[in-house]
This record gives sequence, C-alpha cells and structure tokens, in this order.
Amino acid sequence: MLEKALHIEDVNEGDEAPVKSHLLTRTDFVRYAGASGDYNPIHHDETFATAAGQPSVFGHGMFSMGLLGTALTDYVGPGRLTRFRARFARPTWPGEELRTKIVVKAKRVEHRKHMVDMDCSLVNSEGEVKVVGEATAHFPGRA
Amino acid sequence: MPEAAMKSIIGKSVTKSKVVIERGPVSNFAAAVCDSDPVYRDLEAAREAGFDAIPVPPTFPFVMSNWGHFPENQPVDLPSGNPLDELLGPLMAKGGIILHGEQEFEYHRPVVVGDVLTGESIIIDTYTKESKGRTMTFVVTETVWKDDTTGEPILTSRFKFFHRS
Repeated sequence: MLEKALHIEDVNEGDEAPVKSHLLTRTDFVRYAGASGDYNPIHHDETFATAAGQPSVFGHGMFSMGLLGTALTDYVGPGRLTRFRARFARPTWPGEELRTKIVVKAKRVEHRKHMVDMDCSLVNSEGEVKVVGEATAHFPGRA
Repeated sequence: MPEAAMKSIIGKSVTKSKVVIERGPVSNFAAAVCDSDPVYRDLEAAREAGFDAIPVPPTFPFVMSNWGHFPENQPVDLPSGNPLDELLGPLMAKGGIILHGEQEFEYHRPVVVGDVLTGESIIIDTYTKESKGRTMTFVVTETVWKDDTTGEPILTSRFKFFHRS
C-alpha cells in the first residue's frame, strides 16, 4: 500500500485519476440497500417505482457518490480526504454504464500541509452527468 | 407551511445519537460501493497503510447510524419530537417525492473501526424554489460527529434534500 501511495510531487494541476467504470444493475441497488440500511422501495421495488410514475427503479444518490468515493480513494489513498461534496444532478438507471472523472484543479499549502483540490463527476456512456462534485485531499511530501 | 414558520425551524435539533463503528458493516459497505481495497477488511492491510484500525470508506458516515446504534447507550437528552415532521408531513400528505439533492462531508480525522461517535443533527437551512410549475421545498441539516471520549470533532456531514410536489 505505502510504496504505491502518491506524494505531492507526483500530482500536477490538470492530472486525471484513472477512470472507474461500472455497469449498473438492480443487484447493485439491492446490495447497497442492504449495506446502507436505506430500504426506500423506489430503489428496489419495480412495482412501487412504476406506480410512482418512474420508468423503473433507480439508484441511490449515495451509491453514485460511493462509487466516486471509491475512485477518489483509489487515487489519493484511504484516509486522505478532508472534504468531499456531491450534487445529484440526474437519476441513474439499471443498464447504464457509469464512469468516474476526477481532475486535479489546484495544489496548495494549508496549515503547512500539501492539499490537492479535485473536481469529480460521474457520467454515463452518452456523457450525461449524474453527479457533480469536489474533493480535497492532503498529500505527504517526499522529503 | 408559511415562509416564516419554515424559517423558524432553522437551528432546531432533529436527532442525536451515539454510534459504535463495527468491522462487519464497514467491510460490507466497501463491497457495496465496489471498493475491493483490503484496507477496509484486513487489519494488517490497514496498519500497512498507516492506520491503527480499519478505516471506513468516505461515504460510510452517511449510513453509520443504521449500524452500531444500540438503545442502551443512546444520549439521554434526546430532542423531543422532530421539527421536520411539521414541515414534511403536510407536504407528503399531498403527494410528491423526497429526493437527495446534495451531500457534503468534512473529515477532521479518519473514522476507524472501534470509534464511538456522538452526533447531533441541526436544521441549518430551509427554502422553497419553483421549477417547471412545481414547488421544491429544500432542507439542509448539519451533523457534527464527535469522539465520545475526547469530545473532539471528527466529521461534519451536510445533507440537503428536497420535497418535489
């Protein structure tokens, strides 16, 4: 883990984190419902969702944010985030392929710590934006 | 609910709870957000990554009160009633749905398995917006989670949701 951890010298403005892509299934929603304790039936009960006027069940916003969180910690390392914010722009549907996009926006020093600000988003294969967010992480220096 | 009544619930407490961070729910949650990092499952991997205990994925704090929440150790000074019921009850009676608009976390230090955290949720904003002939009623709550032993703030969570008529 430690040897592959990024240092501040490894990161530059405009850098992009590796893309994480995921084909969304109803099983994802059920697994997330069980692991989160969020049993809102709109996310797993097709009969309920269609009666509520939705074309089908749709994903938990926090599942989408969770996927982004996974891509973020894969990039910066666990325990390094100091801030993570997301806005849920559109629902996610079963069968969609979601892709994470994480771009380094700025490097700065705060309280003598190296900080990296990132823009992040989750989009489907047609480029439709599902989640837009920002994150900040602290990075160790090599010295 | 009239504007003034809606603004009057700003600053009120919604819930207060004590939560124990347990390994099983953390590992399960990591799998549910497609995170296979051993750091969330294996203490040795967590130690190699510089933690004293298994850390939690970044969005786990949103759901942690659904786990490790035991009736015998809850705070005694719980808020009486939930001011959100006054706002959302009449809205939901007329139909519509409640959706999650935004979520924000500020991490003051990593949350790890074994932590005991106490959090209080406060309503920090309410407002309405018209969109495509529908009324959207927004609520923002803020929860500050503190280490139950030291009182040190560990995490701040801001939850924005809305009712759409």
